Amino acid sequence: MLPSFELLMPETLPEALEMLAGYAPDAMPLAGGTNLVPDLRGGKRRPGVLVNVHGLDALQYIGRQDRYVVMGAGVSLADVLESELIGAHGRVLQEAARVFANPLIRNRATVGGNLGNASPAADTVPPLLVLDAELKLASAGESRWVGLEDFFVDVCDTICRHVELITAVRWLVPPPRTFSRFRKLTLRKSTAISVVSVAVRVTLGESGRCVDAAVALGAVAPTPIRVHEAEEVLRGEALTPEVIDRATRFACTAASCIGDVRSSAAYRERVTDVLTRRLLAEAQEWSEEQWERS
Amino acid sequence: MPRDQTRTIRLILNGQKRTLRVDPADTLLEALRAASYTSVKYGCGTGDCGACTVLIDGEPTHSCQIRAVEVDGHEVFTVEGLAPFPARRLDDLHPIQSAFAETGAIQCGYCTPAQILTAKALLHRNPDPTRDEIRSALSGVLCRCTGYVKIIQAVERAAALLRDEGVCPFRHAAATLPGDQSLADLLAERNLIAGDWREPRTPLVISPPAMARLVVVGESESKVDGIKLAAGTPAFTDDVRMEGMLYGALLTSPHAHARIRSIDAREAAALEGVHAVLTHEDIPRVKYASGGQSFPQPPPYDQVCLDDKVRHVGDRVAVVAAASPRLARRALRLIEVDYEVLPHVLDAEEARGSDPPVIHDEQDTEGIYDASRNTVHRIEAAEGDRQEQWRRADHIFEREYRTSQQQHAHIEPHACITYWDEDGRLVVRTSTQVPFHIRRMLAPLLGLSEKEIRVIKPRIGGGFGNKQEMILEDLCAHLTIATGRPVRMMYTRHEEFTSSRSRHPTVQRYRVGVTNDMEVVATELDLLGDTGAYGTHGLTVNMVAGQKGLTLYNSPYSAFRCDVVYTNKPTAGAFRGYGAMQTHFGIETLMSEIASEMGWDVVEFKRRNWIKDGELLVMATALGEGREGFEQRIRSNGLAECVRVGLEATQWYEKRRKLNHASAVNATDGCIEPLRRGIGMSLMAHGSGIAGLDMAAATIRMNDDGSFVLLVGAADLGTGSDTILAQIAAEELGVAVDDILVHSSDTDFTPFDKGAYASSTTYVSGNAVRKAAIKAAARIRKHGAAMLGVELRGSRDAGERDGTRQEEVGDVPTTGLEDIELHGGSVRFPDGRRVTLEQIALSSLHQQNQHQIVASASHLSYDSPPPFGAQFVEVAVDTETGQVTVERVLMTVDAGRVINPITASGQVEGGIAQGLGFALCEEMVYDVDGRLLNPRLGPYHVYKADEMPDIDVIFVQTDEPTGPYGAKSVAELPIDGVAPAIADAIHDATGIWLREVPFTPERVWRALRART
Repeated sequence: MLPSFELLMPETLPEALEMLAGYAPDAMPLAGGTNLVPDLRGGKRRPGVLVNVHGLDALQYIGRQDRYVVMGAGVSLADVLESELIGAHGRVLQEAARVFANPLIRNRATVGGNLGNASPAADTVPPLLVLDAELKLASAGESRWVGLEDFFVDVCDTICRHVELITAVRWLVPPPRTFSRFRKLTLRKSTAISVVSVAVRVTLGESGRCVDAAVALGAVAPTPIRVHEAEEVLRGEALTPEVIDRATRFACTAASCIGDVRSSAAYRERVTDVLTRRLLAEAQEWSEEQWERS
Repeated sequence: MPRDQTRTIRLILNGQKRTLRVDPADTLLEALRAASYTSVKYGCGTGDCGACTVLIDGEPTHSCQIRAVEVDGHEVFTVEGLAPFPARRLDDLHPIQSAFAETGAIQCGYCTPAQILTAKALLHRNPDPTRDEIRSALSGVLCRCTGYVKIIQAVERAAALLRDEGVCPFRHAAATLPGDQSLADLLAERNLIAGDWREPRTPLVISPPAMARLVVVGESESKVDGIKLAAGTPAFTDDVRMEGMLYGALLTSPHAHARIRSIDAREAAALEGVHAVLTHEDIPRVKYASGGQSFPQPPPYDQVCLDDKVRHVGDRVAVVAAASPRLARRALRLIEVDYEVLPHVLDAEEARGSDPPVIHDEQDTEGIYDASRNTVHRIEAAEGDRQEQWRRADHIFEREYRTSQQQHAHIEPHACITYWDEDGRLVVRTSTQVPFHIRRMLAPLLGLSEKEIRVIKPRIGGGFGNKQEMILEDLCAHLTIATGRPVRMMYTRHEEFTSSRSRHPTVQRYRVGVTNDMEVVATELDLLGDTGAYGTHGLTVNMVAGQKGLTLYNSPYSAFRCDVVYTNKPTAGAFRGYGAMQTHFGIETLMSEIASEMGWDVVEFKRRNWIKDGELLVMATALGEGREGFEQRIRSNGLAECVRVGLEATQWYEKRRKLNHASAVNATDGCIEPLRRGIGMSLMAHGSGIAGLDMAAATIRMNDDGSFVLLVGAADLGTGSDTILAQIAAEELGVAVDDILVHSSDTDFTPFDKGAYASSTTYVSGNAVRKAAIKAAARIRKHGAAMLGVELRGSRDAGERDGTRQEEVGDVPTTGLEDIELHGGSVRFPDGRRVTLEQIALSSLHQQNQHQIVASASHLSYDSPPPFGAQFVEVAVDTETGQVTVERVLMTVDAGRVINPITASGQVEGGIAQGLGFALCEEMVYDVDGRLLNPRLGPYHVYKADEMPDIDVIFVQTDEPTGPYGAKSVAELPIDGVAPAIADAIHDATGIWLREVPFTPERVWRALRART
């Protein structure tokens, strides 16, 4: 049973944006509802008006535009999982989609919803952070692109204004010889919120050294974070055990670990260490394979 | 605030164009159920359990998570669309449904429609899925009964059926040992040794040569209720809607401990559509205990329906009845309660410490051992010569083990509908395991006599002990009395966590003395049991914990000391395993620890000491069920064979020898593989019913066509007990199972039964059914003889057993009752003549010596024979993160003769799944104020389909002389051994012992770190 609210059912994106503007700040967009509906039921959020954006055609596409992979914010996690384009140019995101909740929720939950909900443990965020993704925030009559790293402010808080809606996500097609992977540790296999999640992207140069790298963590701070210090360590280096060790230590330092029902702070730090180290070790193995192949 | 307004939506529902009028706030789940699509079930409302799954445009979706208005213009599919109504036989069903019914994939049936729809979507997309793909696809729909083993097999079978491939009848495999095959060959042939599931493996039943084969008993009969459950037929408590029905809702305490200074319910009562608001001021203060147990229930009676004090977050404060559930919840928010918040205590040690907050300071509760220290019971018992046995001990081991608070998480929440019938009697339709106890317990609380109350148990969506409690019935009935209207109450999932019951957390201090010859000579158990805010089941659970925790190794000196204490946490109650599973964790782990420390072979050490055939259970007399018990002697014991088969099937000694755990820890340098594997084992013994206390009865009545009605008070809560009781009757009456129509249970029409708890239905109720069937069969034989003019020998009537004996005079007829066979629906005489049961029925009802062939019988046993079992688990431990993955479980079971191998193995698999949760992830966690931090099926982890290891079940049959056809219980046993077997396997993998469940990754990691 849900508390009372008015549910508006726009048929087009402009109509939806008009409605958000008209009822702000009492209106919220409703996408798959997999987070919002339990929040409504539990009284955690009490909007007077919900604007249903689920299924709007303008938010349902995955494609390539120039140097970018672009997708509408209404794309479901199941769509992400099935997309060949994302498989080719955003494997890290597909890995997150594969372990996202469970198949039923993946059918409903949208990328835009997962970003907008701004949970510190949101599974799509670390992958999109290492892809240097940007979000399109649209309101009636205008729109802007913002970097994902600048998007989050705090737990469940973003720079998205009440009249704005996340309408699209894009990232530059990564250069060839790019490795990107996602891992999370949960207390069980499916439908589990991460204790820690880690995403890593490594791009190799001609020499076999790392020319660009990105490391992002989820569930270790009020928002998912990039670990730039670790990236600095990796850039320009071969992925030796010593380099991996130094980068991993920065990841652990960056994790301002919090204790909660899922884990203590000390264990979070430990898991950050293990997952980061393992992903970088995997990157190193991959880089050796690349070297041998070339 | 904008106003709600109903809207019309158009959709394709099960292939038909439909329009529905819906409120925009209605979820699709609510709208579908309101439109009588009741196969779609409420389980959580948060998208965690999946019971509400429907297909939207072909994709499985949680209908509780979307608003009905969103499906305007879409296609929605429910299980009602799969088969025509009524589905009467398997052929009427869709192949996925029939596969579920045939394979035993349905236990309670509450999640079945959701599983079937999820399977349908998968098989549409992928007609030939791998087992992993099936597991993954099903991972969004929780099942608490089956352990998913047979659900996965059902999907595989359905896939084959839909691909038009032939399938064999789904039945168990049978073998006789010693026989024409060696054990090794048998296991190899069944592909049991590899532990690698190449094809669906059904349970294996091994019999001793002397065990006679029966006709219906022992066969893998499909469940008698499988078809209706596969079809999603409205069969559960909440699937009916009474005219004028109101909806009840419960206001619960936000504080762990507080006195209610005042309640102002005026505003709530004034709300339009609210028919009643009841607080402690409106209901007579009658003391009771909510646990459904035989009369007189164990004290203390420390509860009242509504109190002026609250003792845990989630405790009862007030109830409302209103025209809609939404209105009832709104009214709750308008009730103003002025609380005087009191200091609270959450920890059991602190609760009995010095100067604690006193949780039960009321004057009218009798029978609390020491209320000032929150100690509700102190139990002490000892057998044997203490000094002598401790003197014999060469080594003494002391260890402490801790178990956590587990929630039952049956997918159907507690639900109840009460109403006045046309005779002014109160009818209680409720999801209960104990209909007769509920009627007896309700009467004084309502000021009615028992004859004025009728309790009906419809189909139950799982209980596991939580429905052995009166949770909603009294409140719902009070609302019907207050309003004169039918009232329905149903818990939300959140309320299930905070306001139902749970497993008693324990602290166990074991002290064991052993000799150099591996003999266990003395065992002392000091137990602290945490019963939460109220003492229901507190005495009996903890007595059972003592008795069962001191039985398996039956030391010459055994001693038990126990405090059961109150804390300001949600109340603990009955839960499958009932104390025994907690102390099995302690004693089995300690036995493994001792063997490891002494360098002994763990199997040999346990074998030397486990209880043997013919031995007395040392603690059975001292520790009964809340009172002194009865002497118990082991009359059947398959433990040795269980272990022999299990060792062979797991290649135990080869795997165990791979050990090298010295180097397992601190593996971060990359030199040592962080993943380590281990194998572990545990033994278990349980009981079958409560000796000398709990009675069951059954009535069998013949119909015109020679079929029978079997009336039982036994409460099938999804276990399949209706089916096995029908098999027992069918065996005795010589008919097929579908000629037995089972009714369970209705206090007006079915005879008394204690209810479904204490592993008693097969053993106690089964014996009652068998006795009734024997009596009915004798009457059938007599009437058949009369029809053919066969004169019977006047000796003692073998069937009636009424003690009378006629003197034999004149020529002695050669035919006795025992010479007349009932078989294949006919009565066969020694001379070859036959009369069909239909002829006998018509004759006895209409033509000759007219009378109703009917018989009733009761059964009470002074024995509670233990079923035995052994579990073998293989685990992988990630030594860097502490994550434990169970990769295989094999359980060998001595449940006496197995009445139905498919339903019995379903009990084993389901028990193991719950045991895995207890061992690895399930735990109710509180903040400092006593608020539960994980009252959702998301953060509270119940095993899902994609996490389950392969499970194999092998029954090693014995013949229990006191059981029906030699049967013992099976329901609780499998949960007892999971945690200690995993603890042993983790030790085998890593060299560390875990002494507190659940073994979460963090606990394992900390234990590994502490060792370095």
